[in-house]
Amino acid sequence: MHKWFYTKMAIGNIGKNRKIILPYLIMSVGIISMFYIMHAIAVNEGLASLPGAVSIIAILFFGTVVIGIFSAIFMFYTNSFLIKQRKKEIGLYNILGLEKKHIAKMLSIETLFIALTALALGLFGGIVLSKLMFMILLKLLGFDVTLKFTISGISILVSVVLFGGIFLSTLLFNIGHIHLARPIELLKGGNLGEREPKSKWIMALIGAISLGAGYYIAQTVESPLEAIFMFFIAVVLVMIGTYLLFTTGSIVVLKMLRRNKDFYYKTKNFTSVSGMIYRMKQNAVGLANICILSTAVLVSLSTTVSLYMGMEDVLESRYPHEIGIMIPDGIPENQEKVTAMVHRLADERNVELEHFNTVRTKGFPTVVEGNEFTVDLENGFDYKMSFVQLVPLEDFNLLENSSTSLQENEVLIYTNLEMLGLESIVVGGNEFLVKEELSDSLLEPKTESALAMNIYVVVEDIETLHHIYNTIYGEEDQTLDYISSIDVAGTEEAELAFNYGVYGGIAEFDFAVRADSRMLSKDSFLSAYGGFLFLGIFLGTLFLMATVLIIYYKQISEGYDDKVRFDIMQKVGMDESEVKSTIKRQIVMVFFMPLIAAIVHISFAFNVIVKMLALFGFSNISLFMICTAVTVLIFAIIYFIVYALTARAYYKIVQ
Amino acid sequence: MVILEVNNLKKVYTTRFGGNQVKALSNVTFSVEKGEYVAIMGESGSGKTTLLNILAALDQPTSGEVLLGGKNMKNIKSSEMSAFRRDHLGFVFQDFNLLDNFSIEDNIFLPLVLAKNDYKTISAKLSPIAKKLGIEEILPKFPYEVSGGEKQRAAVARALITSPLLVLADEPTGALDSRATDHLLELFTKINREGQTVLMVTHSTKAASHAGRVLFIKDGEVFHQIYRGDMTTESMYQKISDTLTLITTGGLQDA
Repeated sequence: MHKWFYTKMAIGNIGKNRKIILPYLIMSVGIISMFYIMHAIAVNEGLASLPGAVSIIAILFFGTVVIGIFSAIFMFYTNSFLIKQRKKEIGLYNILGLEKKHIAKMLSIETLFIALTALALGLFGGIVLSKLMFMILLKLLGFDVTLKFTISGISILVSVVLFGGIFLSTLLFNIGHIHLARPIELLKGGNLGEREPKSKWIMALIGAISLGAGYYIAQTVESPLEAIFMFFIAVVLVMIGTYLLFTTGSIVVLKMLRRNKDFYYKTKNFTSVSGMIYRMKQNAVGLANICILSTAVLVSLSTTVSLYMGMEDVLESRYPHEIGIMIPDGIPENQEKVTAMVHRLADERNVELEHFNTVRTKGFPTVVEGNEFTVDLENGFDYKMSFVQLVPLEDFNLLENSSTSLQENEVLIYTNLEMLGLESIVVGGNEFLVKEELSDSLLEPKTESALAMNIYVVVEDIETLHHIYNTIYGEEDQTLDYISSIDVAGTEEAELAFNYGVYGGIAEFDFAVRADSRMLSKDSFLSAYGGFLFLGIFLGTLFLMATVLIIYYKQISEGYDDKVRFDIMQKVGMDESEVKSTIKRQIVMVFFMPLIAAIVHISFAFNVIVKMLALFGFSNISLFMICTAVTVLIFAIIYFIVYALTARAYYKIVQ
Repeated sequence: MVILEVNNLKKVYTTRFGGNQVKALSNVTFSVEKGEYVAIMGESGSGKTTLLNILAALDQPTSGEVLLGGKNMKNIKSSEMSAFRRDHLGFVFQDFNLLDNFSIEDNIFLPLVLAKNDYKTISAKLSPIAKKLGIEEILPKFPYEVSGGEKQRAAVARALITSPLLVLADEPTGALDSRATDHLLELFTKINREGQTVLMVTHSTKAASHAGRVLFIKDGEVFHQIYRGDMTTESMYQKISDTLTLITTGGLQDA
């Protein structure tokens, strides 16, 4: 046979199947570009030299791994679509006399062409776009520096090896598949498996229970730490529920509809219900995939956008003052040294101390039962507990610049979350009357959501404070936590110098002391949240591409299946407009079901995500709500556009 | 009473770029009386399928006219065409054309449901037909679960359930084995005796030998016809066979 025979044939095949191969190729190019960009940025030397880059580099490497794994799964998935569509063609070649080894040779050449094209274009696109992406990332991170950006040899190598491997595996899968099949099976190809699906009640029930349990967990999670543990359980339950309900629940419901004769034998319902049973059998898994992917896009985008946009709020709530210094279990001499240092630094660095206050406190974890603050000495802290912070009145009055007075058995209380509304409290075996529950205090800003509830109990004097604490723990502890807050005024340079000075100064003390600077933390916040946002957008785009391609292939493969059925219906007397409206109703139902399910998932996940965001110090629930709503809206619009475009491809086939 | 009247039907196909013209039907004229059982015979490419498609209003003639139940099909609006076809014609196809995702029962119901009848009406119509065709047991089954002969009987039931003026059968025995063929042809004879008008297109001599009249088409024209009169099926078979031989060898002129 001619030397170039198989090559010619392979090129011809790619051309003939461009309708299904082209989207696969474009998607491969996109995935390769994204992988290259992510990897190239992660290994960029300039980035590593920036302050706070450790977390962002970790995030980017994590992203690289996610994209790598996802690419493999996704390319296999689309490949199985491709080969299913081409079964008939391959069967025909087999019957016309091409041996299986010849077909394997032909497929290998095809894959080689596709892989080379995808890698060449993907890497080219990646190299061109990586500079732009890098600049966007730096902007997000708040760096104004211009970094040299080079083509990364190692990234090219990693991409080629990874994607070369993926293409090779899909090829081996296809060859193995064809090798096992008999020609007649190949010829029948897609027409197999038209059996009516059975109602699997138990599976549907398990699905419903699983979904319900996932939703219930997401709804009832109360504290952020609990949210972390429960979130993954809830996600797994909801995923199981989604798959089971799409695959079996839908069939059960449709069959119930079919059993209702008066409903079923209406012109509209008759063709829709039976058509849907047939469709759901073939598409349930694909639709469940779309649903899960859509949910992933929505969650990753809405949370990362919220975190980034709410960063200033987070900084404000986490650092109410420019600098906070804390001496745990300290004695007065420690605090004197700190105070001296602060004054000295303020002089040296030319800043004015606008606010400098120290509150002495002693805290312990507690469980609030009625009006009693009980302490469990046996077990450690768990996520249902709150913290009590005892504060002497003297310090409170100094901080608030007030002149409140308290009787011996009276306290003031304040929490960072909702009000407790107690008349009296019992703590350390003594009962105190609540003189007032404050609605606002400089001790800590009020917030909608926090890691744990802090209950501030302002007591008459230091002796009372020690008495309560030592009664609980049965000790003679005279130490206190000294919490200082500082605000300064001066030029930006002077303030920066002051902040660095505090960090340097406390490092030299011989007792435990910690400082937090809002100014110096901002960089690491920007780096982490900017990194998250970048990753969120990147993964969101990737998942979206996957969703789009799955939708496209579904429309195409269904178009060919449905063509036959609608031909028959037209012959027995269904007119064209009826055919059109039936088709429309079916594809609208099929393709918007995953979107609607995804939106329901998001709504139920809202509570647990809010709780988790509190771990990042994010408490602006309304901002998160807006971000989620906007993300859902934009996603729905894109989804609709994709649907409209692919629906046209579908109609073309069916008509 | 004349049910179907076909006058000077002509159909010319033009190739895509307008180059060649292919005459599928040159001049076909015939009519079918109520209660008749007519078979149209011809070789592949003689224009049988084109004729059937035009009769079924699935295709338009180049010239000439078709009157069904006295109504000129040209005057029916395209929006009403589907309803007209559904109410006045029943179809039986060579490859059954049953929908895989409907049970046999639902396949038979399909035209009635499309005509917006309620469930009571349609289920009342089903049982006598199912009984007549002997398909009561397979009603809840799906097409892939039953034999070819049963599928074709289900298709006949679907054609009959609207009580159409005319049943059009296109090569109905083409995909059946000899036993199923015999069974189906007996069925057609039976429903014809009960008054149903049937027009069958076939190139099977056996299928045609059951008809009351056989029209032969050659090169797009009605070439010859045979009336059964009081002939037995066997002698009818013989006569058709002889006629076909004469047509193929070119010896016979219009009788």
